This record gives sequence, structure tokens and C-alpha cells, in this order.
Amino acid sequence: MSMTSGINRTPLIGAIVGCALGIFVLQNGIGNQPTGKQYESISETLKNGNTRTVKKLKAGVASPAFQGISSSWQRDFNQGTVETQGLSPDQLLFALAGFREMIAGILWVRADSFFDSGNYDAILPIIRLVTVLDPKQIDVYATGMWHIGYNFTDEEQRSDRRYIPSALALGKEGARNNSLTYEMFFETGWMWYHKIDDDYSNAVKWFELAQERPDMIPARRNLITNAYERDGKVDKSLDTLFKLYETAGKKAKEDAAFGNKQNRDTLENKLDTTLVRMVQRGWFAGKDGRPLTGYDVNPPFDTGFSAKVTVTEARVLRFEGTWNVLPVGTRIRAVLRDADFPNAKPAGMEWDFSNDVNLDPPRDKTFMQEQLFVRNQRFNKKVDMSKDPTMYPFTSKDYVIEFYYNPRSAPPHIQDKFSWNGEGFTDKNFLNTQVREGQRVMYTSVKISKDQLLRRGDWREKVPVIKTGNYLDKDGKAYNQADQVTIDLPSLRAN
Amino acid sequence: MFRPIASIAATTVGEAIRRKVLLIILLIGVLFLVVAPGLGMLSARSETTVLRGMMLGIIQLTSAVIAIVLTVYMIPNEIERRTIYTILSKPVQRWQFLVGKYFGAVSALLMMMTLMTSVLVFTFWLQQRDASAIPDLIKAPVMYFVQMSLLAAVAIFFSTFVSPLVNFFLSGGLYLLGSLFAPFFQTLQESQGTPPAAKVFAQLINTILPNFANYNIQNPIINPGQQIQNEGSYYLQVTVYGVLYIAGLLVAGTIVFDRREV
Repeated sequence: MSMTSGINRTPLIGAIVGCALGIFVLQNGIGNQPTGKQYESISETLKNGNTRTVKKLKAGVASPAFQGISSSWQRDFNQGTVETQGLSPDQLLFALAGFREMIAGILWVRADSFFDSGNYDAILPIIRLVTVLDPKQIDVYATGMWHIGYNFTDEEQRSDRRYIPSALALGKEGARNNSLTYEMFFETGWMWYHKIDDDYSNAVKWFELAQERPDMIPARRNLITNAYERDGKVDKSLDTLFKLYETAGKKAKEDAAFGNKQNRDTLENKLDTTLVRMVQRGWFAGKDGRPLTGYDVNPPFDTGFSAKVTVTEARVLRFEGTWNVLPVGTRIRAVLRDADFPNAKPAGMEWDFSNDVNLDPPRDKTFMQEQLFVRNQRFNKKVDMSKDPTMYPFTSKDYVIEFYYNPRSAPPHIQDKFSWNGEGFTDKNFLNTQVREGQRVMYTSVKISKDQLLRRGDWREKVPVIKTGNYLDKDGKAYNQADQVTIDLPSLRAN
Repeated sequence: MFRPIASIAATTVGEAIRRKVLLIILLIGVLFLVVAPGLGMLSARSETTVLRGMMLGIIQLTSAVIAIVLTVYMIPNEIERRTIYTILSKPVQRWQFLVGKYFGAVSALLMMMTLMTSVLVFTFWLQQRDASAIPDLIKAPVMYFVQMSLLAAVAIFFSTFVSPLVNFFLSGGLYLLGSLFAPFFQTLQESQGTPPAAKVFAQLINTILPNFANYNIQNPIINPGQQIQNEGSYYLQVTVYGVLYIAGLLVAGTIVFDRREV
């Protein structure tokens, strides 16, 4: 038995054409449709006085006569392009089918279990996958950045600094993908401020970007004043403190909540302290061109740095030395790195050299950074790199040992003498004004060979000792032993 | 004219509710929704993000499977069991049969999705104790319903001329393509290296394909903090888009089904 039916198809085809036209217009809009790159994030004030950040078309970009679904979806709901690398076939299938956030959530829960078990290596690819699947998950970016920057350590808890460019790249990507909120700008700034702890102009740059976002919480806004100080912009720090204090005062008047009052009082305290320090450290006098006689920073204090590095065993170094500052709180940076380490600069590297999140640092290169803590005017620290061959592969032929001290990173009680840019700081042999522009720092470096570090070849029986000419033992004697070979650490002044 | 449609739709809902395979899929979905909060061991905000992401994902995934499984067998089963003869021998037009079947499927889908959304709301409230977030959370299942209605229309259109197994993969594949093409389309449009002809071709594909990604509005709900502009107008546009596409597919399905010998 067969059954067919006959209907007039002309109106039906007409209906399909009508639907198709409607679909076309709704989907594609009318007129030139803006793309995601033609929008910018701007802050606008609402009627109730609050501010919010919105995406607006950039100047010069014409608004379409009718915005299609496609364009609106790209602007407000798109999670970014799916990258297939690293996804298993089932994960890929789900991700492609629009279940990206669900997969991201499952992966993130899995990463958490790896955190608990301390399996840090397994977390890295998961973090990357989650950020690719759902680039709006700020927590994953922030946690991932912290994890990459801080958690990869050797047996003695020294961070693997080769990962820092990757951490910064992840932070930058997070900020790009979440430009409406302050968080990733702040986190990236914090990485510069706290972890890199040297190039503060970058911390300032990122904190300023965070400051532009209206959702930044007040207590975090205050940190930029510290960054300005460490960047040597003390006047700017003071101006910002005044502005923040004024805003906090108004807020505390409008709403006498404990947090608002506490923030106002904290800022008042910080403002007082900064003013006192600026006076005591001769900042105002210096600006006015008055002599600094009688101020704490005058005359500059000679730290009398001296050092001796002994390769006691293969891959094991002992750092000893002197530093004439009596109060505790000094940490001298010691770096041991490949002589040809990529993007190296004195006592560090160009941390921000890449926008690509590369989770595989240069594994054939060595970069060890240690802080030498000074107590009773001496430091003595054993650095054992023998237990972590993946972090310290020692594959190159030549290495560099560097010593570095920057008054900008010093705690306030030491800065009271050295001031912010090292105005009250000097070192007879190792003062350097070249390696950090506009700053007076201590810096010296010396080359050392792989054979010396690994105690092999000619150095199997001999102990390599690197020391500055002014180094004296604890009992005040110059250091000499029959089985040791001394390599002089050059003094800039002596040269 | 509408009475036969309503009768067929009501019968279809009854059949759908009695189909064990659909009930099992629904049960699995509901079970996952209930246990999802147990995975929360993260920071407070991460926990909320993960919970929302997973629960909405479970609803979407379960609904998609139900929509396809429900509709691919609808017409072929009637033909295979020869029950279609009994129906069409009565004063029922073929288009009424097709539309009735579709509305029955969509009504069954609505019931199942309402149940899952209720479980979602209850579980979320139990876990987070934050009633203010619930209206936002419900937006996603509402849009998923339009999405799944579109998917059901795609499947019912194919069911007029292909076998259920082929239809399963065809509809599933189209859902995948329709979800994937939107972000891919953006990349092509924004890339300066894309030739103009390729851009036009991409626009054509983007228009012809049912754009399921339009309804994937969950990201700002999962990660609050993004500023959505003209939200209401967007939801209205995508709903009208869905209705037009469904109408087009049903009309096309009617033409094909009308010419088919059963």
C-alpha cells in the first residue's frame, strides 16, 4: 500500500524564501557589522553615581543600521576560538559542541586534586587548557599565574625563574581577555612588584591599568603608592596618596562602615609616614637644591661589600661575605646563570620578552637566583644545586655569577639611610650607576666555567674560590689555602 | 485545522513520556545535577563558576541528546509500525501530522527541561543560598530550550527522508557544526589574510547553517563581570531567528514528506 498527498507547493516555497530572508537579516544585520577589535572598554558613570566599564565602538567606527545576531554574539558571548591542542578526542568533541565551560569546570576540579597531591607538573597543561576553553575564568588565570611564577621550586625552595616570562605572558593574556575588570591587570602588576621585585616601572604600568577599572577594590588601589615609591616616583606617590585619602574620606562620610573608616585611617597613617620619610630622607631639600647636610642620607654610607664563593662540591656553592649594615633586613641578590642565557640582563633577565604562553621554559639553560640574608654584617649561605638537575642542567660551557643590591627593594628602616634611589648609599668598590638607570646599586659579576662548577677535569682536586680583593675572613685575615685556587671578582673602582 | 495538530501533539507527549530510553537519559542528567555541588572544593568564586558551568553544561548536553533521540525515530517509527496509515486515513493532512509530531516533541522537551531547570535552581540555592543569582541562571536554560527546539526541527526535517541512524549522526553533526562555526567565522572575518571571496563564502555558510552558538549565552552567567549590552533585544532576536528557522524547516519537511510514498 502506498500513500502520497498533493499540496500546492508555491506558497510553501514562498514561505521558505521569506523565512530565509528573515534569517539572513537577523543573523548578519544591515550595514557594516563591527568586529570584536573595533570595540574599546570605557568607564561610564551611572545615574546613581556608580561607574561601570562597557564596550563601545571605537571613534571613527560607524554604527550599523541594524546589528545582527552574529556581531552581538561575538561581542558579548563569544568564548574565543577553540584551540584543539592538548584536548583528548572526547574533550575536543564536547568543546566543539559548545560545552566548553563544562569541560573547563571539570578540568579545573581535576587540577585542584593535583594541587592537593602536590603534582604541580600535571597542573600546567590543565591550566592552559582551561584558559583556552574558557578565557573568561579569571580565577584560573590568576591562580595559574601564581602557580607558574611561585610554585616551581628546587629542594631548597628557590623558585625556577625560567618560568616567570610564561607567568607574565599568561597574566597579559588574561588581562587582554578580561579587560573589563581590574583583576588580571593587578595580578600582573603584583608579579612585577613582588616576585620580580626589581623593575618597578612595569609594576606601576600594570597597577595604573588596573586603577583605570572602576571595579578595583579600595585596599588594592592603595598599593600603587608603594609601587610609585619603589619606582623612584616619590612625588607621584604622595599626590596619589592625597587623592586616595580624599576619596576615602568622602566614602567614610557617606557610609560609616568599618571598612571605609579603616581604609581612610590607613591612608592617613601612610600619608603621615610618607611625609616624615620624605623630610627625613632629604627629598624636599634635594628638590629645592638645598644642601643635604644633617639629613640621614648624607654622607652616603659605604656598605663595604665583599664576597667569596667556594665550589665546595660539584654543583654546590657556598656564598660568604661582608656587608657593613648592622640592622637586619638586607638581602643581597646572587645569580648564577649561563653566560649566554637568552634575554639576560645584569642580575636578571628581560622578563617580559614574550606574549606567547610557553609552558616549556628553556630546559637546557640554568638560572639560579638566591637572596643572601645578612646578619651581624656577614652573610653565609650554602646553595646546593646537585639535587635538581632539571632546574640546573649545567649544559653550557660558561657561566656568570652576579651580586646585586638595589636600595629600592630595601625595607623602609634601611631606606631611611639609603633613600629611594640610593642617594645615601655607596660602595667603595662595587657602586654601579649604569646597570639600573637613575639608581645607585651594588653590582659585580664574574665568569666561571662548567668544569669549575662541576669539579671535573683540572678542577677535580682543586677547589675553585672566587673572591673580591677586599674579602676578609671572620677573624679578619685574608683567605688563602693551599688546595684552593682564587679567582678575583673584579671591582669597578679598582679597574 | 489545529485540533488534529493538538491531538497528535498530545499523543506524542504521552509516547515520549513512556519511552524508557528518554527517561533514563533524563534520570542521568538529573543525577548529575544533584551530585555536581559535591565537586566543590575550590575557592568560593571558583566553586560558583565551576558549579554554574557544570550544571548548565549538563542541562544543555542532556537536552541535546533527548532532542535528537526523541525526534529521529518519530516519523520512521510511525511508518515502520504502519500506524501512520490509521492516522492519515482520518481527516488529517500530512503537514498537520508533521507539525503535530514536532509540537509534541517540543512539549515533551519543555517538560523535561523544566524538570532539570527546577533541579538546577533547587540545588544551586541549596549550595549557594543566593536567590538573587537565580533569575540570571534561568536565562541559559530558556535559551537552550529555543536551541533544542531548533535542533528538534532539524532532526524532524531529516526524519522525513533519512533513516534514524543516519539522522542521528546528521543532526548531531549539524549541531556540532552550528555550534563551532560562529567562533570560527569571527576568526575568518577578523583575519586580514582571508581573501574576500572566502569571507563571502563563510558568511553564506554562517547564514545557511542553523547557528546553534547564538544560544550559548552561558559564559557571562558563569563568569559574571562581563557587561552585556541590549540583553533583552538580543534574546528577542535569537528567539525570532529560531522561530523563523523552525518554520522554514517544518515547511521544507512538509514538502518532502508530502511527496514521499509511505
